[in-house]
Amino acid sequence: MTSIGAEGSTVTAPKVSRRRGWWRKNWISLAFIAPGIIWLLAIVVYPTIATIRFSFFNEAATKFVGLHNYASVFSTDSILTAFKNNIVWVLIFPFFVTFIGLMVAVLTERIRWATAFKAVIVMPIVFSTTASALVWRTVFDLNPHVGVVNAIEQTLSDWFRTPGAYPLNSSIGQTAASLASFNAQGGPNGTVISKSVVHPGGTVMIGMTRISAATLQTLGATTPVSPHKMSGGISGLVWNDFSPLQITNTTTIVSDEHGLPNLRLSLVSSKGLSVASTVTNSSGDFSFSHVARGSYHVEIQSSNFQNAFEGTFWLGSQSITPTNGLNQTAQSLLSVPLIDLAMIISYIWIWAGFAMVLIGAGLASLNREVLEAAEIDGATEWQKLRRVTIPMLAPVLTVVFVTMVINVLKVFDIILNMAPGSSQGPATTLALTIYNDGFTGGIHSGVASAVAVILFLLVVPIMYWNLKKIKG
Amino acid sequence: MSSVTLRELTKKYDGNDAYSLDSVSLDVAHGEFICLVGPSGCGKTTALRMIAGLESVTSGDIEIGDRVVNDLAPRDRDIALVFQSYALYPHMTVSENMSFGLKLRKVPKDEIKKAVIDAARILDLEQYLDRKPGQLSGGQRQRVALGRAIVRNPSAFLMDEPLSNLDAKLRVQTRAEIARLHHRLGATMIYVTHDQVEAMTMADRIAVINLGKLEQVGSPRDLYDRPANQFVGGFIGSPSMNFVPMHVESVDDGLRLVSDGGDMDVALGGVESSVIRRAGVSEVVMGVRPEHIDHVPRSGGGLQMRASVDVIEFLGNDEHVHLTSGDHVLVAIVDARTPLTIGDSLTLSASIEAIHLFHPETGAALK
Amino acid sequence: MSKVDPLEDEKAAPLKERRVAVVARRLHISTLTVNIALGLVAIFWLVPTISLLIISLRPESLFGTSGWWTVFTAPSQLTFGNYTTVFSQGFATGGVLNSLITSLEITIPATILVALISSLAAYSLVFGFWRGRDMIFLVIVGLMVVPLQVALIPVVQFYRELGNLFGLNPYGTIPGVIIFHVAFGLPFGIFLMRNFLTGIPRDLLEAGRIEGAGEWKIFYRIVLPLALPAIASLAIFQFIWVWNDLLVALVFLGGNVHTPLTIYLYDQTRSLAANYWIVSTGAVVSIFVPLIVFFSFQRYFVRGVLAGAVK
Repeated sequence: MTSIGAEGSTVTAPKVSRRRGWWRKNWISLAFIAPGIIWLLAIVVYPTIATIRFSFFNEAATKFVGLHNYASVFSTDSILTAFKNNIVWVLIFPFFVTFIGLMVAVLTERIRWATAFKAVIVMPIVFSTTASALVWRTVFDLNPHVGVVNAIEQTLSDWFRTPGAYPLNSSIGQTAASLASFNAQGGPNGTVISKSVVHPGGTVMIGMTRISAATLQTLGATTPVSPHKMSGGISGLVWNDFSPLQITNTTTIVSDEHGLPNLRLSLVSSKGLSVASTVTNSSGDFSFSHVARGSYHVEIQSSNFQNAFEGTFWLGSQSITPTNGLNQTAQSLLSVPLIDLAMIISYIWIWAGFAMVLIGAGLASLNREVLEAAEIDGATEWQKLRRVTIPMLAPVLTVVFVTMVINVLKVFDIILNMAPGSSQGPATTLALTIYNDGFTGGIHSGVASAVAVILFLLVVPIMYWNLKKIKG
Repeated sequence: MSSVTLRELTKKYDGNDAYSLDSVSLDVAHGEFICLVGPSGCGKTTALRMIAGLESVTSGDIEIGDRVVNDLAPRDRDIALVFQSYALYPHMTVSENMSFGLKLRKVPKDEIKKAVIDAARILDLEQYLDRKPGQLSGGQRQRVALGRAIVRNPSAFLMDEPLSNLDAKLRVQTRAEIARLHHRLGATMIYVTHDQVEAMTMADRIAVINLGKLEQVGSPRDLYDRPANQFVGGFIGSPSMNFVPMHVESVDDGLRLVSDGGDMDVALGGVESSVIRRAGVSEVVMGVRPEHIDHVPRSGGGLQMRASVDVIEFLGNDEHVHLTSGDHVLVAIVDARTPLTIGDSLTLSASIEAIHLFHPETGAALK
Repeated sequence: MSKVDPLEDEKAAPLKERRVAVVARRLHISTLTVNIALGLVAIFWLVPTISLLIISLRPESLFGTSGWWTVFTAPSQLTFGNYTTVFSQGFATGGVLNSLITSLEITIPATILVALISSLAAYSLVFGFWRGRDMIFLVIVGLMVVPLQVALIPVVQFYRELGNLFGLNPYGTIPGVIIFHVAFGLPFGIFLMRNFLTGIPRDLLEAGRIEGAGEWKIFYRIVLPLALPAIASLAIFQFIWVWNDLLVALVFLGGNVHTPLTIYLYDQTRSLAANYWIVSTGAVVSIFVPLIVFFSFQRYFVRGVLAGAVK
């Protein structure tokens, strides 16, 4: 700016005060943004660069080791397992959570209680993943009196396959035949059959062993009674042929032995056909009346030995994919632990509401008239959905899908809290690896930083792309 | 092509006290172009959507051809609807947009192709067939919407204010195109608009609807020359008809009408006098169109009016002159070469044939 | 209505049947199926939460021997015993209440700070006059992309260095956690606030300036009150995010005496795996607070979810 001096000369204001004017005008503005900028530089920008630097140094951050840490990453089984698990998550979770969110968002338009329904579905986002993991851990618990899933499985299983009174212990590979003792042997299809042949008017005694005292007590077993002959019929006794008093005696009844009640028996003819059936009473005695002439064996039906429901160990690391017999590395890369599935289901429970809200907003913003045009063109509800609504929703669906991919690449809380100790290793993910490697037992930086950088490189481009989509 | 008949069609939305559509009956002949006109919210779009099947019927019947279609889904009614916003499928190309309906009905591919190309040729869309709606201008999109309807070869075309999203010039152009299309296809067309110019220029007949009620149905000439009530009189024609309340006075050879303040009077002939006597009213509303008012006095019956000029709107060939006569404001259309300035006092007149008489309370035309 | 026509009845009869069938087909049956289907979905969704609540209300003796669902046939089994046990610990360290307080101590300042600093920064970005505003904004938004795992190790070291230099090492302290949470809440917060503030006409500020108000007053008295809806959305989102965080708390407060609810739950689940009747009370308490926030401010929450599908 110029001013005319007394003698008519022009004087230009020095540049300094022009700068000062700018500062005076703007210092508050800059002061407002300063805390934010400083904070971000200190805790976000600088540390990111530092981590990248750490990834090229050894654990104590003293010696430059180039790509050594990265090589470690790709040769350590536990880290490869983490990669695999993240891939499993990425392949399964985003698709299903988007799909369920879509279905629910579409159907919710038809009901009157939509607001209440949406609140129910969205609610779990508000819980900490830690608390949710706890909840679902109980839901998937092995004990059918704790875990709803196993409780339902047991009810269904018992309905279709009623457990027998004398279930076998499969964990030690018990078979029906192994229970056979006096005058008994394993028969076809898991039955036990009498060795001796019997005719009408005769008796038969069958001894079994390895029956637990608890079972005997539950069934109310009493002292066995020697069978009486029955003309025209066959009578007999099945008893627990084991006595601590006379261990070696496996042929006669000893005083402390018990009869075996509730055993379903069949009378098998010489041709191998079952002609009658009965059940032993509390002293183990039974009888078949009005038996036709011929020679018979007595068969203890296999259903007696049907084992009880065992439960599915959802939280365990047994693989859904067949990987037995593969070497360690291949296993860690190809096996999919069952708990991954359990955790994914829980995670869907948490996040489907998010998908539903976003897709619901997208649905609401669709031009109603286009759907009406489709109706007039002749589309049914299903055709409208498939050929008009979903293609028009493609942008929203993509944003939801990709956001969930990013979310799942960083998945951490749910595994830490839902997987029992034994499953932590097989279920680990990249984020968990960073924590375990970097922070347990002191602070280590080399490999953990490398994993962090890899995670960063995976997440950043996807997120960047997603942000552009959201803004556009 | 089919006829469309509405029988005492009524629509009431839950929660509304008023009827959106009140007992409207209409016979649309096979191949006829009929316009439903009325101000916003009058129920014309509701009626159209009910014919399409997008709104349910509260009472009354809709017939397409000789079928009662009240409970048929839109897809079973064999109609096509052109939406105001065109409602094109944004993710499909123009040809896919047009063939969608046929594909759903499992029409053979070659027939679809032929139909699409034929329609595209009629509408001059051939070079746009592979474009998506987002890449088209408003006018082109409108033609695609028409094409989608043509391809279906429906019993009736329904159109919901298809021109209102176009700019003025394009509107005039497209108006003619639609009229041409109608003649070419011989189709039954039901066209909804709030613009009476569109209705007058395109329709075989016009149905004027106000507040859910059908005010009058007739040819454009009928509605112009013989409006059934004040509403129709004021709705058809632009600038709209002037209305002035007048007193009925007895004079020696009959009756005459005088305005408050006496600046206007109408000498009535025998026919008009007997009409008024039959109606038994002492007040009437006089209607006269701006284009029928001359800026010179005349003798032999009709309206004489003393007024002063407020505003003059020059339109090239004509001038629209806004006048004040006593307490009343009127518009007259005069030749643009007439020497007039604001503030001029003049005497104007109109012949008795140009005078319309309406009942002061019901608004009905007196006959 | 329709006039009476002698032939009407004959025409109407088959028509009526058709009408009923069509109405049923179009409306009732499909809506009924949808209602049932969604009803089942809603039940499925509620079961886990309800089961948690019920487990916390059942005595230790019943756990593992009978399912929590038996409560529907034998409601008398419900008891507040577990809660009494837990609350009788009072604010003793390692207890639920202590963790609750710690959670609040972390979450409330973190939320307030993020809201404040984001608003200030956004104000500067929208109403400031310095060049490069838009560029800086893009960079800040870009930072939303950085996963916090990447910053953990260096920040721990940074804290140590602060300790060496100034004698104040934030590692292992609550402020240390707060600082980290605020930093990672800022990109999203600034994004949200800035987008909202662009909708406020500059004229309002000009009017304030003409009346002699300084920049701070304009911010405090004009802009901030107008920005409340956006601040509410941000605050709720940030609150719930920090309240539910586990990783950051573990890293910075791992072995600390005072830990937030998430670490409390984690410790409990890890150490005494079968102690669910007690742990569930802690989970219920930890869920309670965000649930109240959620229900009170549902509207803002949904808006926040829509605005930022990025956390």
